[in-house]
Amino acid sequence: MLQWLPENVSTFGQSVDTLFYIIYYITLVVFILVMGTLITFLIKYRHREGQKASYIEGSTTLEIVWTAATTVIVFGLAMLSYPHWNKIKSPNEFPENPEVLVQVSGKQFNWDMTYPGPDNEFGTADDLELENQLHVPVNAVVHIRLTSVDVIHSFFVPQLRLKQDALPNRFINVWFEATKAGRYEIPCAELCGFGHSGMLGYLNVHSQADYDAWVKERWPQ
Amino acid sequence: MHDNEHASHHHEESFIRKYIFSLDHKTIGKQFLIYGLIMFFVGGGLALMFRWQLAYPERPVPIIGASPQYLEDGEVVTGADKMWERIYESEEEEWLEANMPNGVIEPAFYNMLFTMHATIMVFFVVVPILVGAFGNFLIPLMIGTRDMAFPILNMLSFWLAVLAAIIMAIGFFVPGGHAAAGWTGYAPLSSDPQWTGVEWGQNLWAISLLIQGFSSLVGSINYITTIINMRAPGMTLFRMPLVIWSLFIVAILLLLAFPVLSSALALLIFDRLAGTTFFTATAEGGGDPLLWQHLFWFFGHPEVYILILPGMGIASELVPVFSRKPIFGYRSMVYAMIAIAFLGWIVWGHHMFQSGMQPVLGSAFMTTTMLIAVPSAIKTFNWLGTMFKGSIRFTSPMLHAIAFVSMFVIGGLSGIYMANTPVDIFIHDTYYIVAHIHYVVFGGSLFAIFGGIIFWFPKMYGRYMNDVLNKIHFWLTFVAFNCTFFPMHILGVGGHMRRISNPMQYEFLQGFEGMNIFITMSAFTLGAAQLILVFNFFWSMSRGKVAEKNPWHVNTLEWEAPTPVPHGNFVGQVPTVYRGPYEYSVPGEESDWIPQAQPEHAHATGGD
Amino acid sequence: MLRDTPDRLPQDVRPMSNARLGILVLLGAEMMLFSGLIGAFLVFRMGNVTWPPPSHIDIQLPRAVTGINTALLLLSGYTMFQALRAIQKDRVKQLRNWLLLTGALGVLFLGVQGSEWAQLIRSGMTLQSGVYGGIFYVLLGCHAVHVIGAVIWLFIVLGMAVSGRFAASRHIGVETCAIYWIFVVALWPILYVLVYLA
Ligand code: HEA
Ligand code: HEA
Ligand code: CUA
Ligand SMILES: [Cu+2]
Repeated sequence: MLQWLPENVSTFGQSVDTLFYIIYYITLVVFILVMGTLITFLIKYRHREGQKASYIEGSTTLEIVWTAATTVIVFGLAMLSYPHWNKIKSPNEFPENPEVLVQVSGKQFNWDMTYPGPDNEFGTADDLELENQLHVPVNAVVHIRLTSVDVIHSFFVPQLRLKQDALPNRFINVWFEATKAGRYEIPCAELCGFGHSGMLGYLNVHSQADYDAWVKERWPQ
Repeated sequence: MHDNEHASHHHEESFIRKYIFSLDHKTIGKQFLIYGLIMFFVGGGLALMFRWQLAYPERPVPIIGASPQYLEDGEVVTGADKMWERIYESEEEEWLEANMPNGVIEPAFYNMLFTMHATIMVFFVVVPILVGAFGNFLIPLMIGTRDMAFPILNMLSFWLAVLAAIIMAIGFFVPGGHAAAGWTGYAPLSSDPQWTGVEWGQNLWAISLLIQGFSSLVGSINYITTIINMRAPGMTLFRMPLVIWSLFIVAILLLLAFPVLSSALALLIFDRLAGTTFFTATAEGGGDPLLWQHLFWFFGHPEVYILILPGMGIASELVPVFSRKPIFGYRSMVYAMIAIAFLGWIVWGHHMFQSGMQPVLGSAFMTTTMLIAVPSAIKTFNWLGTMFKGSIRFTSPMLHAIAFVSMFVIGGLSGIYMANTPVDIFIHDTYYIVAHIHYVVFGGSLFAIFGGIIFWFPKMYGRYMNDVLNKIHFWLTFVAFNCTFFPMHILGVGGHMRRISNPMQYEFLQGFEGMNIFITMSAFTLGAAQLILVFNFFWSMSRGKVAEKNPWHVNTLEWEAPTPVPHGNFVGQVPTVYRGPYEYSVPGEESDWIPQAQPEHAHATGGD
Repeated sequence: MLRDTPDRLPQDVRPMSNARLGILVLLGAEMMLFSGLIGAFLVFRMGNVTWPPPSHIDIQLPRAVTGINTALLLLSGYTMFQALRAIQKDRVKQLRNWLLLTGALGVLFLGVQGSEWAQLIRSGMTLQSGVYGGIFYVLLGCHAVHVIGAVIWLFIVLGMAVSGRFAASRHIGVETCAIYWIFVVALWPILYVLVYLA
């Protein structure tokens, strides 16, 4: 089933995929176990003439076994996940000094990208505003200030394994580091009105040289 | 026959008192059942409409899509045109033009369709049937009393539900269209008409749910009081059948959860109609867009357990009966349900992992959410344990119960992926969630409902449902269900977002066209299969084979009552209970079942 | 209606009557309704750096008057309790008097609240003035609606008392009303502290 996952092109994407696989195998085993037992029982203990069911009211030992087993698996899984979750979403664990800082703002039904320009300050004259096109260099840390001007949208780049809602009047920081140049889609993943389907931006991951050229073209000095 | 005063008192009731404004819990239960089945077709029909759009985006919907010529100059070309001609006299064609130009579903209309699909299925199908129908029919019969504690409130509960359904239905026809912000109604999309153009639709949605809230409130007060106060002599709490336990717990959940939604709905209505800004962040002194989500999910998560617990209860009745064995671990089944209900209150944040809540909170919610796997494991393995060394009969209700157990496991296990915060980053708001929803609510609740209907039908109407039709319905439903919803996991893994009307707009989803078509085909088959059930249901009411008093040889009290059950339920005294509900295949006993009402050391079975 | 009691075995005693249990269960739901609104209030309260927000900085909630009003309402809880005690001792006349007093206190409370609201609205704090005004009127308004409901109920009970429908052996109508009344009364101090003082 997991071969359907889109190609992963971010540094932390591997975390998501690995956990996905771990859970996949755990649940697969649980599933086969439960279904195997169920089907065995259904065949073995189907009604036959003259055969009577055994009177079994329960078993405390078994009860304890599966309670404990599930608890252990579940806590193990939770423990395993905390660091990865924090790595992706906790602002105080973000890699510092991003190469690129950009503000992404959702609005019905576009993504507005704002680059702060050479002074790295938003709201100054050298800001650059683009509609639906995000340009970043490959293998570089990117910080995004995510917001919205109207309703809730959700910034989703499947190949980056990144999704984050954009809220009006609030700035949420996200980061990523793309590992492969290319053009990726940025669909909106939260229902935001009649144009939700088709609200689509593009993430252009350039090689460093191409990105430098792009920057040069925009800010000539 | 020592007919008694109770049963013969009320014979000369008028038709209205008997069938419309009835105070009898059995009639009210049946009313809820039929109400739910009708709404099931409305909700399912909406699903089929948007399934068409997902498989064949931008192509006219067959049968109901009007032709371009008709919209242009009113010239009738197709059968659909004739239908619209008949429904609409004049300017309403604008409605068609706006929502389905050229017979194609518009994006805004698409949003409305799935919003109403889910709203109807959750609030007007599954809850009314599981809680309203089974709760009303079964509680007094199974705990051994003559009626609910407050029969008038009971009637009120049903008619409030009808009123809510009517108001919800009106929403389809108001200008601006019906609510289109998802069944979760996220603000500020839902709280400000400016963002959707939906005016009264969303208001009526909120008002209807408020009324539905009153209906549930009244119903749950009734259930709780009845179960605590009116049990037959000897019916101790731990002799109650598990389905009664589940309904008891669900009544408490409904009682406590719905008012929270009501408070949120009230705030929403104020925002929409009175100019407040509770859900809109404004520069100064503004509200909070996440507040709605917190309130909604604080209600919403307990709500989903409201949808599943009675299903678990029904399965816990069917599995022992048809395995001819006691339920495995009766007490741990009860405690597991209590644990699920309790944990259900502290996990709501798992719907909001990507909403921008504190990452630490996310981790906490992940842990509590995954913990629910523990009581769920207890339930699952106990059902298996019940079948172990049993003598399993594959009757139609049992098939549904087995389907319930296996489909619930799939739906529950997919819940573990989503509970895991890092994985949820990817699968949140994709079809993985949609697959999960339907595995738990259709695979879970609806299979339990089907099983329950077939199982109790002989008690409700004194006849059997046709078994051949039941078997056909079961297998068609089971196969078509899995063909419809299993591939949605794959869509989700591929990143296919939910709530989009046209997946073909995205490059990375191009590969899924075939799968979407397959899903739609399966959904149509699934829908067609339900016609068999409903036909069978109404046909068997008058034409089915007449059933004896206790056809499945069940221990619980409802089968002590004569069939059809008279007003007042039990002939003579209310039965006295001497033992637990699952005494099947007791060693040393001649028959393999001992009714709860059979006195110690008496060996006749099931006589009155 | 069918009565179930004749069939019951003597050892099977109910903890309390259906009506009383039903009303207590209802209070559970009421509590959650207010929890939702109080939750919203707290979210706004915590979410704003200053409270009242800068736009309403000059709004002065009438703390003192409301404090007295709170005392009035609490007193009505006491008088209601006395009414219940009276009928338990079969003193119908005292029941009437206490009920009348309770109802009067309830109406007085509503009146004072109403005049305060009128004053606040005149001074510029309305439902539309940000979440500060909004949640104030909705939360307290929800309580006021409950008080109105309780007052109406109380006067119905009073009417029944006047026509002699209650006795020591038969006063469940008074009891349920009293339970509801005391709930509504007990809720108010929480709201007062939250909205006016904190
Ligand atoms: C009947 C309804 C029902 C039920 C019972 C459940 C049960 C569960 N749900 Fe589900 N859920 C919904 C209905 C339901 N859900 C709906 C409608 C939505 C979408 C709402 C929307 O956005 O529109 C949703 C969404 C939803 C989300 C949000 C996803 C997102 O939007 O990103 C999450 C996340 O954690 C979740 C988790 C769970 C979990 C962990 C369970 C658990 O209770 C499952 C527990 C069961 C098992 C785990 C299986 C049995 C156990 C074993 C066989 C033991 C062994 C197991 C292990 C060792 C793991 N659900
Ligand atoms: C109890 C709950 C319940 C039930 C039973 C169903 C049943 C079905 N659901 Fe639904 N669904 C939800 C609850 C439910 N759903 C929820 C909560 C959502 C989320 C909504 C949101 O995002 O806000 C959702 C969303 C949802 C989506 C995602 C939409 C989107 O995100 O864009 C889809 C897509 O396929 C879908 C499909 C179906 C189908 C095909 C059925 C079928 O099982 C229906 C089968 C039944 C019938 C079809 C009966 C009708 C029969 C007829 C009308 C006779 C005529 C038919 C023929 C002749 C063929 N549902
Ligand atoms: Cu923006 Cu969906
Ligand atoms: Cu949930």
